[in-house]
Amino acid sequence: MQSRRQFILKGAKLVAVGAAAASSGPTVFVRGAGAADKQLKVLQWAHFVPAYDKWFDPWAKAWGAKHGVEVTVDHVGFADVVPRATAEVAAQSGHDVHMFIGLASAFEEHVIDLKEVSGALEKKYGKPVELAHRSTYNPFTKKQFALSDMWVPDPGNYHKKVWTDIGMPNGPSTYEDLVKAAPEIKKVAPQMQIPIGIGLSQDIDSNMAVRNILWCHGGSIQDAEGNVVLNSPETLKAIEYTKRLYSVGMNQAVLSWNAASNNQAFNAQETSYILNSISAYRTAQDNKLPVLENYFFVPALKGPTGIQRASEHVMSGYVVWKFSKNQDVAKQFLMALVEASRESMLASKLYNFPSYYGAVADPGTPMNKKAESGAAWIAKQCNADPFGSQPPDKLSLLASALSWSTNLGYPGFANPAEGEIFDTYVITDMFAKAATGALSPRDALTEASNRAKEIFAKWRKKKMVGGGSKDR
Amino acid sequence: MTTTEIALARPRGTSGHALSRRDIRLGEILLAPALAYIFLLVALPFLLALFLSLTNSSAGSLEFSFVGLQNFRSVMYSPVFRRALTNTFVFTFLSQLLVIVLGNILARALMVPFRGKLAVRFLILLPWAAPISLATLGWLWIFDSTFSVINWVLKVVGWLGPGQWYYWLGDPVLGMIAIITVHVWRMLPFSTVILLAGLTSIPKEVHEAADLDGAGPLAKAFQITLPMMLPILTVAVLFGVVFTFTDMSVVYLLTRGGPFNSTHVLASLAFQDGVLGGDVGRGAAVAIFLVPLLVVMAVVMLRLSRRAEVV
Repeated sequence: MQSRRQFILKGAKLVAVGAAAASSGPTVFVRGAGAADKQLKVLQWAHFVPAYDKWFDPWAKAWGAKHGVEVTVDHVGFADVVPRATAEVAAQSGHDVHMFIGLASAFEEHVIDLKEVSGALEKKYGKPVELAHRSTYNPFTKKQFALSDMWVPDPGNYHKKVWTDIGMPNGPSTYEDLVKAAPEIKKVAPQMQIPIGIGLSQDIDSNMAVRNILWCHGGSIQDAEGNVVLNSPETLKAIEYTKRLYSVGMNQAVLSWNAASNNQAFNAQETSYILNSISAYRTAQDNKLPVLENYFFVPALKGPTGIQRASEHVMSGYVVWKFSKNQDVAKQFLMALVEASRESMLASKLYNFPSYYGAVADPGTPMNKKAESGAAWIAKQCNADPFGSQPPDKLSLLASALSWSTNLGYPGFANPAEGEIFDTYVITDMFAKAATGALSPRDALTEASNRAKEIFAKWRKKKMVGGGSKDR
Repeated sequence: MTTTEIALARPRGTSGHALSRRDIRLGEILLAPALAYIFLLVALPFLLALFLSLTNSSAGSLEFSFVGLQNFRSVMYSPVFRRALTNTFVFTFLSQLLVIVLGNILARALMVPFRGKLAVRFLILLPWAAPISLATLGWLWIFDSTFSVINWVLKVVGWLGPGQWYYWLGDPVLGMIAIITVHVWRMLPFSTVILLAGLTSIPKEVHEAADLDGAGPLAKAFQITLPMMLPILTVAVLFGVVFTFTDMSVVYLLTRGGPFNSTHVLASLAFQDGVLGGDVGRGAAVAIFLVPLLVVMAVVMLRLSRRAEVV
C-alpha cells in the first residue's frame, strides 16, 4: 500500500508530464494564419463625461471603416489604466494603442517613438501646448514616448450663495482666502459638513490638489533638471499652510475621499469649494441638481507670493506598444484623433481641451496664426457655453486656463519617478500626516523627501531620469 | 477465517493486489487536475514572486538585475511597511477572534430546531456567496464619511449630537474597525458552517454521559466540546488566518490603505507599490515577507490538529 507522500508524488509526476506534453506541442491548437485584415485595438479610459465615449467609439469605428481597418475600443476605469498596461507589457501582447491619463513615462521602454507623428502634427498645427509636451517627451532619452490629444483644466468650483453670504461673491482668489473664509462659512452654512473640500486622501484629485498648494507656495518635487528639491523652506510653508487650513476648514472626511467624493460632496452642497474639472458641474446639469444655480468657477488660486499654478486634471498620453503589429495604422489613428480635436472638445462638453490649439483653428487659417485662431475658438465656446450654462459665460475663465495650468513634474518634465511618487501618494500623505498632527510638518517633509530621493535614485540607475547632483 | 476461506471470498477473476493498484491509479488521475491548478496558479506565481523580490524589476520593463536582499532591506526601513506589518497582525488576530466567537454562537443557534431555520441559514451564507467587490462597494456607502447610514441612524437615535460625526474611513482607528467589520461579516458564514459541522460531529452520548456525571455547561464546554472540536477548529482558524493575512480586497476597496497609508496590510501595500507604483521587485518583497511565518504556522497548526484528533 502506498503512503500519502508516494501518492502525491505520483500525481505530481503526472502533472509534470502533462505540462511538458502541452508545451512541446503548441502547433496542435494554433489558429491557421489566413490573410490578415488591418486591425487596431485601442484601450481607453471610461471618460468622466459619458457623452464623450458615445462620440468616440462610433468615430473610431467610422475612421476604421473609411481606412479599411477594424477598430476595437475597450474602456476601463481610470484606476485600471496602469495595471492593464503592466499586464500587457508583462505578457507582451494586448492592445495596439493604450491611453494613459497620467504619466506614461514608466513604460517608455516598451513603446515606440512617436516623433514622426508629433513632427507631422507640429508641421500641420504648430507646437502642442507646453504642458502636453512636458508630459509626453523625455529630454533625457530624447524620446517622444506618448502623444497627447487633450488635457483638462482644474479650476476651483465654488458655491456662489455661500461665498456671497460671507462677502466674497466672486469666490476665493488666493489660498489665504480659503483660510479666512472657512470660519465664516461655518457660521453662514453650518449644515455644510466640510466648508473647504480639498482632498488629502490617496486618490487622483487629492494628488492634484496638494501639488497645486505645493507649487503655489514655491515648492516642488523636482527642479527643471530633475534634481529632488522637495526638502525646502517653501515646501515647509506649503505644509504649514495646509495644517492651518485643515484646522479651520476641513475634517477627517477629506482623508477618505475617492475620485468621486469631492464631486458628490459639492453636488450635495456639503462643501462650498472643491478643486475639480467641470465633470461634477456637467453631472449637476444633467441631473438638474439644486446646487446648479450656485455652481460657479474660479481660476487656480494664488499663493503668498502670487504664484498661480494648477495641475492639469487629466493629461491624455496615447502610446503605441512595441509589440503591436499594427504600428503604422496606430500612428494614422492618433493623427486622426488630433485632427478631430474640435469634435472631441464638443463631445466631451468642453471637458477636453486640445493639446494642439492649432487643430481647432478655423479652416484656412495660415500656419502662423493657427494657435491664435484655435485659442479664439476655444474662448468662443467657453464664453457662450453651447451646453446650456446659465449664465452662458459661466465657463469663460477656462479660456485662459492655459496660463495657470501646468504638468505633473513641474517645473521639470514628467518622468517615471514623478509617476511613482504620484501613484504611491507620497505627497498627499506628507500633507495629510502634517495636517492631522500624525507627524510634525518637518518630520512629514523629511519622510516624504527621503522616499522621493529613494524613488528618483532607482530610476536614475535605470537611466530614465536625469539630475541627482543637486538633490536636497 | 482461514487463508483458504479468504481466498475463496475474493471476487472471481481478480486479485486483491491488482484492485488496489487500479484504485491508486484512478486516485492519481483524479488528483492531477487539483495539483495542476495548485502548481500553475499558486506555486509558479509564488516562485516568480520570490525571484522578482530579489531583482529591481519594474512594471514598464522586462529587463532587470539581481539585487539580492536590497528590496527587503529597503522595505524594512519604510515606516509605511512597518505599519502595514503591524496592521496585518492586528487585523488578522482581531477578525479571527471575532469570527470564531461569533461563529460559535451562530453554530449553536443553528443546532436548535426552529421555524424558518432554512431561511436563516441561507441569509447567513449570503455574505460568503456575494462577490467581495460588490459587497465592499455597499459597505463603502455604509461607512461613507458624508453619507454613512450608520451615522444617520446614530444621529436619529441621539447618540451623535450636533457637530458630532464618525469619519469611518478618514480616521486610522475607525478605518481599521471598518475593515475588520467587513472582513468578519464576510468570513462568518464559512466559520459558522465549519463549526456547525464540528459541533454536530460530537456524539450525543458523550454529552449525556457528562450530564450523568454532573458536569456543568462550562465543564462540558472546556473539557468535552472544545477538545473534541479542536481538530476542526484548528483547520478553520488556519484557513481564516492564511486567508486574512493574504487578503487585499477589503482594504483596497474600502480605504485604499488610507488615511495616509495607515490602514494598509501587506497585500494591499504590495499592490500599491508593485502594480500602481511600478516597483515590482519591492512589491514582491512586501508580498512574500510573511511567507516563512505562514509556513511555520501552517505546519504547527496542522500538527496540533492531528494530535488533537480523537480516535
